[in-house]
Amino acid sequence: MNFMEMLSEIVSIFNRWNKKLVRQPILIFFNLIQPLVWFLLFTQAFSAIGDIPSFQLLTGTSSYVTFFTAAVIIQTITSSALSSGLGLVTDFDSGFMDKMRVAPISKSSILFGRLFSAALTTIIQVAIIIVIGFALGVTIASGMVGIIIIFILTALFGIAWSGISLFVALTTKNQETTLSVGLLTTFPLLFLSAAVMPLGLLPDWVQQVAKVNPFTYVAQAFQSLIINGFEWDKIEYALIAILIVGVLSVGASIMVFRKKIS
Amino acid sequence: MLEVKLECPKCKNQITIQVKQGEKILITCPKCKTQGTFTLPTEKSVQQESKKEDILIVEHLRKTFDKDILAVDNISFRVHKGEIFGFLGPNGAGKSTTIKILTTLLKKTSGKATIDGFDIDAQQAQVRRIIGYSSQDVGVDNDLTARENLLLQCQFHHIPKKKAKKKVDELLKTVKLIEAADRRLKTFSGGMRKRLDLASSLVSGPKILFLDEPTTGLDPQSRQDIWDYVIKLNRQGMTIFLTTQYMEEADHLANRLCIIDQGKIVAQGTPAELKEKIGTDKIKLLFKIDDVESCEKARKLLFKLPGIETVGECGLGLVSENGLTIMTKNGSAMFVRVVRALDEEDISFEQLTLSVPTLDEVFLKLTGKTLDVIERKKAVKPVGRRR
Repeated sequence: MNFMEMLSEIVSIFNRWNKKLVRQPILIFFNLIQPLVWFLLFTQAFSAIGDIPSFQLLTGTSSYVTFFTAAVIIQTITSSALSSGLGLVTDFDSGFMDKMRVAPISKSSILFGRLFSAALTTIIQVAIIIVIGFALGVTIASGMVGIIIIFILTALFGIAWSGISLFVALTTKNQETTLSVGLLTTFPLLFLSAAVMPLGLLPDWVQQVAKVNPFTYVAQAFQSLIINGFEWDKIEYALIAILIVGVLSVGASIMVFRKKIS
Repeated sequence: MLEVKLECPKCKNQITIQVKQGEKILITCPKCKTQGTFTLPTEKSVQQESKKEDILIVEHLRKTFDKDILAVDNISFRVHKGEIFGFLGPNGAGKSTTIKILTTLLKKTSGKATIDGFDIDAQQAQVRRIIGYSSQDVGVDNDLTARENLLLQCQFHHIPKKKAKKKVDELLKTVKLIEAADRRLKTFSGGMRKRLDLASSLVSGPKILFLDEPTTGLDPQSRQDIWDYVIKLNRQGMTIFLTTQYMEEADHLANRLCIIDQGKIVAQGTPAELKEKIGTDKIKLLFKIDDVESCEKARKLLFKLPGIETVGECGLGLVSENGLTIMTKNGSAMFVRVVRALDEEDISFEQLTLSVPTLDEVFLKLTGKTLDVIERKKAVKPVGRRR
């Protein structure tokens, strides 16, 4: 396999998805509706959590909105990621996928082109969330560099989580299943992590689950960048969690895609 | 020395010549003075002629789905370089499955197939470089413009930018989409999409083009456009493998064809060969209603004409008709001879019609059912997206 050829394949598929997105910009906002509702309403209803002394002690902030920003970012990433398989299903249905599979291009290129475009979409969405966060009075302790790190983590976690959606899409080739599997896994995981509540305030059994939940580590990295500044060990943990999810999900997708054909 | 009977290509006059094997001679038609050369093939050259190069060789191909559904049942055939090869059969016969296997989209259960010498399983990458495929579903991206779609295909085939641009313009012109080139496909008609899809399967200049039901669901004008285009491509030397459920299409386009039903090849050959299996052409001759004499005279005359199998009784057929029916193997050639023979004897007639067996009849004879009926029965496509 020629690396330059593969790179050019990925770039052309990446560009194709970006073009499709630009022509239907509504898709950018579609995935944002739910996180926004949470950001605007949930934080209002639960703002009193910030007054709990142990909350302040554990998180370093008395603003629940600030703390919750990390959860909203994660939700944005995951709900965006989970729709990235939908595009593939459309391609299967339209016959475009067959066209790509008949072309002398690598299967992985087809998936990576899609994943990178999904990552870019998520970065745009997270940028919108951060701007709205500013409007709600959220400050980011790590500043501009921190925001860039948030974007990098966003892209990587977006790719890793998109892998799950691709896997379901490739296995089922069905829109509804791809969407519902996504929704069903995301919500419980969010509440079984340190994203909505600091670990120390979670009940024991939830803490145990949260400790093996990748959301926890990604959320803690975001929380630390937003509230405290740079705590590199947290970023490291997040990267490790993302790597594990990514290798499993993207690897499984590539395997399933190859097997389906040959 | 051998005696050979020839027919003048221009005036259809019969010429008898004496010729040696392998010798090339100049012939002048005594009637219309057309000149031409003729070489009687030697046995060796006859062998060479029949040993045309095969670009696609399929041997004992089988495909089962879910263990017990037999979609393709032990089929074997060869496609010669430069021909249009048709795969004719009703929906669900296994046409799409076969084409998907040959284009590396689907894994076969057993058997062997090579394209231009490359094994479709072991050498998928090489196979993909030399084939073009246009699916039944029309694989184009509706969010992109026609030009963008083709450029994307060029990128998939790693064609350099400059060359790709030129190639895309060229293709857009040939499929008559140059004016709509920068419009998104959302506004395109079915025929336009199909033409674009066809163009997109050609960007790499494939050695063999696979077309899966290229005209299904198209209006007559669009169908004609696709036919013209397919013929044009073939004249430029491209081998074409196409599946169709339309007899008319197979008859019009294919040099040779397979008839496939329930996963099995039930017959293969040229359309003419297949029709010949069914029997003979009919020439029907009608005379003025009261001119019984002419009819009898014609009957006696035609009876002696070589190449005619049977001549029916005068006046048979409809009560109000005065005519006769002639059965022959080679209707179109005999048609002219009949006219000439009648002309020479000054026998006047009213009407002369030639009817040849259709592929529909071939299909009916081979499978005991007509394509129409099957189509209606299987209106819901069973194969769908199964892989």
